[in-house]
Amino acid sequence: MSGPSLLWIDWRLAGRSTVRDLLFRFVLVSAASFAFLVLLLSGGSARFLASRYAITAVLRTTVSPGEGEGLAGKVAALPPVRTAVYKDPETAWREFLLAYPGLDSLRSSGGNPLPGYIEVRLRPERLTGADVERVTTALRSVSHVEKVLAGEARISRLLLVKRYAAAIAWGVFGAFAAVCLVVLVLQEKGRATALAADFAFLEERGVPAGRMAASRSAAGALAALPLAAAGVLLSGAALRYLLLRYPSLEQLVGPPGDLLLPRTMLAVAGFALCFALLAAAASLLGFRAARACR
Amino acid sequence: MIEAFRLGIFARGATLWDGVDHAFGDGSVSVIVAPPSSGKTTLLSILRGERQPDAGDVVVSGESIFRGRWASIRTYRASCCHVAERFSDPAGHTVEDLFRLSAVAGGGRIPEGERRERQERLLAMVGLASARDWRLSSLSASERVRAGLAAELLRGPRYLFLDGVVAAAGSPYREMLGGLFRALAREGNTIVMAERHLPERWAAAAGEGTAAGPFRVYKVSVPATSMAAGEQAGQAAPAGGGIA
Repeated sequence: MSGPSLLWIDWRLAGRSTVRDLLFRFVLVSAASFAFLVLLLSGGSARFLASRYAITAVLRTTVSPGEGEGLAGKVAALPPVRTAVYKDPETAWREFLLAYPGLDSLRSSGGNPLPGYIEVRLRPERLTGADVERVTTALRSVSHVEKVLAGEARISRLLLVKRYAAAIAWGVFGAFAAVCLVVLVLQEKGRATALAADFAFLEERGVPAGRMAASRSAAGALAALPLAAAGVLLSGAALRYLLLRYPSLEQLVGPPGDLLLPRTMLAVAGFALCFALLAAAASLLGFRAARACR
Repeated sequence: MIEAFRLGIFARGATLWDGVDHAFGDGSVSVIVAPPSSGKTTLLSILRGERQPDAGDVVVSGESIFRGRWASIRTYRASCCHVAERFSDPAGHTVEDLFRLSAVAGGGRIPEGERRERQERLLAMVGLASARDWRLSSLSASERVRAGLAAELLRGPRYLFLDGVVAAAGSPYREMLGGLFRALAREGNTIVMAERHLPERWAAAAGEGTAAGPFRVYKVSVPATSMAAGEQAGQAAPAGGGIA
């Protein structure tokens, strides 16, 4: 008996149903990878919350625009910070009027009453209590900063919402993965049952059942890898199209460019590997279940 | 050589048979004859290592096929073929599926083109030249055993265990099969058959046979020259030579 010949035993004995199963799996893995990519890039609700949350460093009135710009550049270099934008007093005044129209009279009494400020936004994955603390401490230690507004009173609730939202999102994804495993096991059990007579024929002729199970499992994993890769490519392309077509989605999911970040690629490779392992496990479980029914 | 030592089977609280001794030599054709329900099928399954006897042992090339090394047992079982008078086909296979399955059992070393070519030759040899796409369920008992035999021969097995095949094949094919088995035996293969009766034309050459428990084992003569076999087997001898 040579090993490799048993590897594609299902293809040799039941090619049509194997192809049918693989097509269904492709739909399944494409849907799962789309959900995975959305979750990965959005971090549950982290990206949305990070786009809404900002730390404001109110500068002293004596700070010149040049100094403000320089300070914003230094703040932007802090690891948790995604953007740090300096707004001069004039911009601050315009924003104030947009928010509270009809208060122009405040200026007539003695020039612009508002100082410049730096608006600091954190990276979604760094939106944690410790990182907020780190940035605010760094800003407070600067002599040009008059006051730091970080919403400390509400930040703990915000982080709690973020944690729960992430747990729920990944929990739903985990449940979906479990359903996928059940579907895969049922598929494998069905095929193994249909091929039971053939497996018995081979066993009678000296092909060990364990070897058949291991070969089928290995073939399942090998077939799952390119399938997962194709599914990820398809869902990645679909997600990119949606992000370009509806830019408002970027607030939730992130920019299309994030799809090609090394960490995204690494996570996607891990996803494909997990799917292959899942397929291998499903093959083994299906084979065992079919034999138990005999 | 397959040697059976003191084989025994106990079923339904009673001894079905016990103390069966016999040696099946290499390059021989043996026919185990016994009445229905005497355990012929069970004996064949013991001889090919599929079922363990309740007593005794089977030794092939000096090693037990039940207590020997796993690799030797596997090699032996891989070199066996088994064709039964009746076999079910729940998967709705065609004759070609049976050949494909046999090729997988043989390790899949035969390239697909060669497999098809051999398949056509073997099917023609057993009188089923155009049966490739026929469903097994639509075949008669005779056609089934011949198709089954042809599919098993694809792998070139060394030990052939044939259960009721000659009777099921029917009289038109009996002599053709006899010639084929002799041709295979001349190549060193061991053929062990189980039948209810020894075909009349074989009985004259087989003599009295030897008693082994409730069975009578006849040894069918295998002529030393291929000419004699060719006379009996017609097309079978050259075709059989090509498959081993």
